[in-house]
Amino acid sequence: MELAIEVKQLNVSYGKQAILRDVNVGFGERRFSVLLGTNGSGKSTLFKAMTGLLSGYRGTVLVKGKHIGELSHQHKAKQIGFLPQFYQTVFPFTVEDILLTGRAAFSGFSPHRKDKVLVGEVLAELGLERLRNKLFPQLSGGEQQMVMIGRLLMQDPEIIILDEPTNHLDVYYQQFLMNKLKAFVGEGRTVIAIMHNPTLAYQFADDFYFMLDKQVVPACQEAVPELDMLKAVFSTDFLHIPHEEWKIVLPVGEGVLR
Amino acid sequence: MKQGIIYLICYALPVPVILLSLFIGSTGQADAGTALELAYKSVTAAGLSPSEADSWAMIKNIIYNVRLPRVLMTFLVGAALSVSGSVLQGIFRNPLVDSYVLGISSGAAFGAALAMTFVLIPVSLGAFAGAILAVALAYLIARSGSGIVTIVLSGMVISGMFAAGLAIVQYLSNPYKLQAIVQWTMGNLHAASWQELQRVYLPVILGLLIVYIYRWRLNILSLGDDAAKATGVNPALDKWILIGCATLLTAITVAAVGIISFYGLFLPHIVRMMLGADNRKAIPASIFLGGTFLLVIDNFSRSLFAFEIPVGIFTMLLGGPFFIYLMRKNKLNWN
Repeated sequence: MELAIEVKQLNVSYGKQAILRDVNVGFGERRFSVLLGTNGSGKSTLFKAMTGLLSGYRGTVLVKGKHIGELSHQHKAKQIGFLPQFYQTVFPFTVEDILLTGRAAFSGFSPHRKDKVLVGEVLAELGLERLRNKLFPQLSGGEQQMVMIGRLLMQDPEIIILDEPTNHLDVYYQQFLMNKLKAFVGEGRTVIAIMHNPTLAYQFADDFYFMLDKQVVPACQEAVPELDMLKAVFSTDFLHIPHEEWKIVLPVGEGVLR
Repeated sequence: MKQGIIYLICYALPVPVILLSLFIGSTGQADAGTALELAYKSVTAAGLSPSEADSWAMIKNIIYNVRLPRVLMTFLVGAALSVSGSVLQGIFRNPLVDSYVLGISSGAAFGAALAMTFVLIPVSLGAFAGAILAVALAYLIARSGSGIVTIVLSGMVISGMFAAGLAIVQYLSNPYKLQAIVQWTMGNLHAASWQELQRVYLPVILGLLIVYIYRWRLNILSLGDDAAKATGVNPALDKWILIGCATLLTAITVAAVGIISFYGLFLPHIVRMMLGADNRKAIPASIFLGGTFLLVIDNFSRSLFAFEIPVGIFTMLLGGPFFIYLMRKNKLNWN
């Protein structure tokens, strides 16, 4: 399997506190990969290093075999689209204004005419045409998240990296987004996401990785969810309920598994 | 239709306002009626009587040598302050800042006063040095991830420290210079002359032009560093260029006319209310409306009372309540 992103011997520390220690991991091309882990386990830091947002780490990040630091801005924007965990704007930008900023690496000092056409296409793909002239700060959390994913699509990246994409989303948008991400993989893109919700992850994703003790551990087997691993990561018992071809994984309270 | 009226206000209003401002003055001389009457007579066959010829010469002198440079200076200063406010609000991602709130004006005033008193370097260079020092302090504080209110408060502290420095300079200077410094710090347009205008127009137009070119990049920056980097651009260079322009615009205007407080805070908000946040539209509108609106305020400050009130006091009286309104609107509380 070709690797979209490969991380070698990555070490990150903030001051004396080590965040990531000797991380080695590869994410496959045209796969939907999910990284599961608890709050503060270093997932976001890893993703920032993988997308070039972080500097001052030791180790290597390769994007399709090329050093991330050596990619030009434009080339990087074509390769990687990243949805950060936090973003906010205090100004009343319209959805169209926000989407156009996704073309920053390509359109210099002013968005081109074809960028505006692209806004229409992206909104249509996400089913959000009605939001085009709405003010971004007035949208619901779920709508804002979808718009930010649209902004990432404006780059038309091969690899889509998302930090907790289902955050703030209601059940409908969670399913909608996960279906979309799966469809992106079907179109030939690579999706790598941090998720907090194993139940959702196991219904849609192909590959699983776990954040354990400042390192990334890949799942050993594809066929069955590794409940022991989930328990080690989240310190919670999980139940696997097979349903047709679906893997339903549920966190359960103490006593249920007796 | 509504859009049309807004564009008319931004881009057509400057012309009548500039013309009108030429005929408004604290002396009450050279009002529009007399000027037009004499102008008409001077070009028609009737001609002017000797006494009329005298007052016509005086009117031309007042309008050309006193009011025109002042009007042009006011327009440039208004444009410079509102654009620097737009830039600072975008980059600090904070609707409550401008060069005054961040302490950049005070830094520039301190540097300028130092240069005025001890005459070592040109006043505008001193102002620029002081402004750079203040903006560097503000940026360092904001960089360590502070909230909207923290940045405003640290701006107050920076402003206070430079005000203290300014007070020391005033204390050390002789009475004649002291009076000049005090009048100038209040924000004062009446000293504008062709000479002064010559020092101001090039750097101001340069600063405005660069911000105009970078106006779409400002949209990208106002979503934050991570969001900018996520689209594959490096925000650092754009930021330094834009902050450099805002600092230059502030320093040049402070050196020329003193501190005009809060103007850069509320003008960008008025523009955003009219045209939205997209800086591709907001920056050019800020330039023209910024110039026009300061002219309107200055006209009031010249004609409302028998004596002239420094325009900085006027903008402070307008801007103060607006600042409180913004604080409420953005729901800024301590919890």
